[in-house]
Amino acid sequence: MPEPKEVNPLREGLSSRTMPQPCAVIIFGATGDLTHRKLVPAIYNLAADGALPPAVTVVGFARRDKSDDVFRKELEDAARKFSRQKISDELWAGFSSSIFYHRSEFHSLEGYESLAKRLDELDAQRGTRGNRLFYLSAGPDQFPAILENLRKSGLNRTREGAWARVIVEKPFGSDLPSAQALNELVKAAFREADTFRIDHYLGKETAQNMMVLRFANAIFEQLWNARYIDHVQITASEPLGVEGRAGYYEKAGALRDMVQNHLLQLLCLTAMEPPAGLDADAIRDEKVKVLKSLRPINGDDVRKNVVRAQYGAGTINGKRVVAYRDEQNVSIESVTETYIALRVNVDNWRWAGVPFFVRVGKRLPKAGTEIAIHFKKAPPVLFNVDGQTIDENALVIRIQPDEGVSLRMSAKLPGSSLRIEPVKMDFHYGTSFGKATPEAYERLLLDAMSGDATLFARRDEVEEAWKFVDAIRAEWDEHSDDLALYSAGTWGPIEADQLIKRDGATWRRL
Amino acid sequence: MSATAEAPIEPGLPVEIGRIDKELGKLWEEIGDTKTRASLINLAIYTENAKSVEENTNLISEIATQHACRALLIFANPDAQEPGAKAWINAHCHLAGKGEHQICSEQITFQLDGDMVGALPNIVFSHLDSDLPLYFWWQGNFREPLDEKLWGWVDRLIYDSAEWEAPAEQFGLVQKIRTLTEIRTILCDLNWTRLLGTRFALAQLFDHSCALARIKAIKRVSISATTHTTGLLLLGWLAAQLEWKLQPAPGRKFFLAPGGGEIDFRLEVTDGPAISRCTFESADAILEIVREPKSDYAHARIDCEGISDTLMLLPGGESSTSEVLVMELARGGKHPLYRKALEAINPLIV
Repeated sequence: MPEPKEVNPLREGLSSRTMPQPCAVIIFGATGDLTHRKLVPAIYNLAADGALPPAVTVVGFARRDKSDDVFRKELEDAARKFSRQKISDELWAGFSSSIFYHRSEFHSLEGYESLAKRLDELDAQRGTRGNRLFYLSAGPDQFPAILENLRKSGLNRTREGAWARVIVEKPFGSDLPSAQALNELVKAAFREADTFRIDHYLGKETAQNMMVLRFANAIFEQLWNARYIDHVQITASEPLGVEGRAGYYEKAGALRDMVQNHLLQLLCLTAMEPPAGLDADAIRDEKVKVLKSLRPINGDDVRKNVVRAQYGAGTINGKRVVAYRDEQNVSIESVTETYIALRVNVDNWRWAGVPFFVRVGKRLPKAGTEIAIHFKKAPPVLFNVDGQTIDENALVIRIQPDEGVSLRMSAKLPGSSLRIEPVKMDFHYGTSFGKATPEAYERLLLDAMSGDATLFARRDEVEEAWKFVDAIRAEWDEHSDDLALYSAGTWGPIEADQLIKRDGATWRRL
Repeated sequence: MSATAEAPIEPGLPVEIGRIDKELGKLWEEIGDTKTRASLINLAIYTENAKSVEENTNLISEIATQHACRALLIFANPDAQEPGAKAWINAHCHLAGKGEHQICSEQITFQLDGDMVGALPNIVFSHLDSDLPLYFWWQGNFREPLDEKLWGWVDRLIYDSAEWEAPAEQFGLVQKIRTLTEIRTILCDLNWTRLLGTRFALAQLFDHSCALARIKAIKRVSISATTHTTGLLLLGWLAAQLEWKLQPAPGRKFFLAPGGGEIDFRLEVTDGPAISRCTFESADAILEIVREPKSDYAHARIDCEGISDTLMLLPGGESSTSEVLVMELARGGKHPLYRKALEAINPLIV
């Protein structure tokens, strides 16, 4: 089939984004949870919305032996359960014919060579034009073998005019050296521009709205600095425990699992300077500058600025839950942190002297991720005097659930006496926009197919984040006597309250 | 509109026009904290058909689940003998998110009789939610003289050219309105919005390399549409995007492609979806999308270079009025392609 050299003129104006070219999406670890719960439902939803060319083809790559039909049926069952939109029988019939299964060991070069042959056949049959998007959804221990075999089999190179890209699921290593090693492996097979390190938090609508809120509303940016902001709180709480991920979590802990990626990304979006443009590198350049401006926390500073803790037994939503150490596959002597609170300084002109408090925890009372900007208090004149304490203004960006933005301010209570109380202006996405927001994976897959890396982490971002986190980890490896305990169902250990109290603040109640 | 038009069914609680804001305030007090009032736009709907008040109220209720708004429904009866103005208020609530709380949009309905219709800008527009854009859906035909005071308020003018009996005259009036508002008002033709699914499907059809290779070699295009105007708009879009120039020679009208090739066209009015069939023929290929009456999807057929593929299934677009309006409200933008499409087929509009 000849490669078209020209742009389809009927595409103009149909979407504000570039339509991806036809391609094959090859998922390594295709029998896993992520494929069933997120990836295939996301691709189906994109197809149902008309956001994909019909030729887009999905090839599952995994070790178990099964036919295309069995694989399709499994994915259909999962999609009916997990898809954002109801599955249409009529559409699924056509969609499922674009799904194929390829059985191979991850370590078997032959399996990749036969995959290459099969993809060539699919190019001819389905018009995928030699474009390949490899999705590394297998366990991270399989990444080296997959990347090496992609390179050896030549699947990382395609014919002229076509592209080959790779999406790498987290974790991107477990520390700086392993991240660097992984990045070298990726680099040996794919250009940085063709590498998409996925952090699904960045695909969330509210995380994307952070830039709009800051840079499309002139009122906020004027106040977005040390002159007006007292401190920033970034919170990610969840009532869940390890939920069958103990094997991974025991090695990772909250610091590696959440802070190194999701929370530092949110911190970057909060603290970054306006980028020179909206292209991927302009935005990522600014995020890297923030990471480079983080004051390292090492040595004795770790005890002063970081609280790590582990949940004990307690009650969540009226149900008794066991302590972390009593969870299945968790060591009875485990010192893995399920909670962490940090006081972070961003040493640049904009943020000098403004502490960023970051906390994340499992088995907390409720689920919620948010960024809260706490402004300085009004000066102690007029209303903020005579024993009357006025709460500071707080701008809260809720990432999930109940995505939205609220602003707390003070107002006079009606009546003849002067009483001032906090009131909240609240914007809820769900209230104002009835339309269900697309899943993060929909946006991210579409971006990767279109070659837009804006919402993906660049190599230097990942490595800078590991550098920051590794310093803390190194101190913990030296001393393990600082692990605090908190009861499941509470908002974390008392030590975390003391950490923020030193700056005259308190943790927000979500 | 006859002077004896039936009064509409009462769409809510009757209120004095001067007390609308107070009564709305009371309504929200009664509703209490369990429900949240939300509004992103002012949506005004103008109708001269008494029977459509109930229909429009139901429509607003459907739309409000996706687009929180303050809805102003205006039933005008300009031929009534006695001038008069009445108003009603109500709220449309729906469960949001996981069903934990209710979100409500408010509706104010006006009935304006006789000379009072001329006071529409004063009466109605004093009840807009401030700082929010005004979407004005004019149901039916535009008439001269055009009231500058009225149109000056409108951010987006919604109409449905599929319903017009004299499209040339009506398009002319729409252009006049746009001139009155110094081209600020954005034109939102639901007839054009309805084509969005078909335009997506056609774009996807031509994503196929075999089809794209023939896009400059099209000799004939045939369109089956529910109205002549609908078919013309699709033809106009194709002509504008493919840079076809209309050659309105006496007796035979055709387009000239940039390369000099002639393109014949045929429009057929049929029942069914807005566009039920669109076929392109070149010397060696037939490319087609077909949408069956009850299907949500369009089937694409490609017959070229030995490929005969009918498996492509493409979203066909929305069908009901509320779905089309919801889509229009969600789209935003200035619709420059609509204006280009109109220019491309302007001489064919009668």
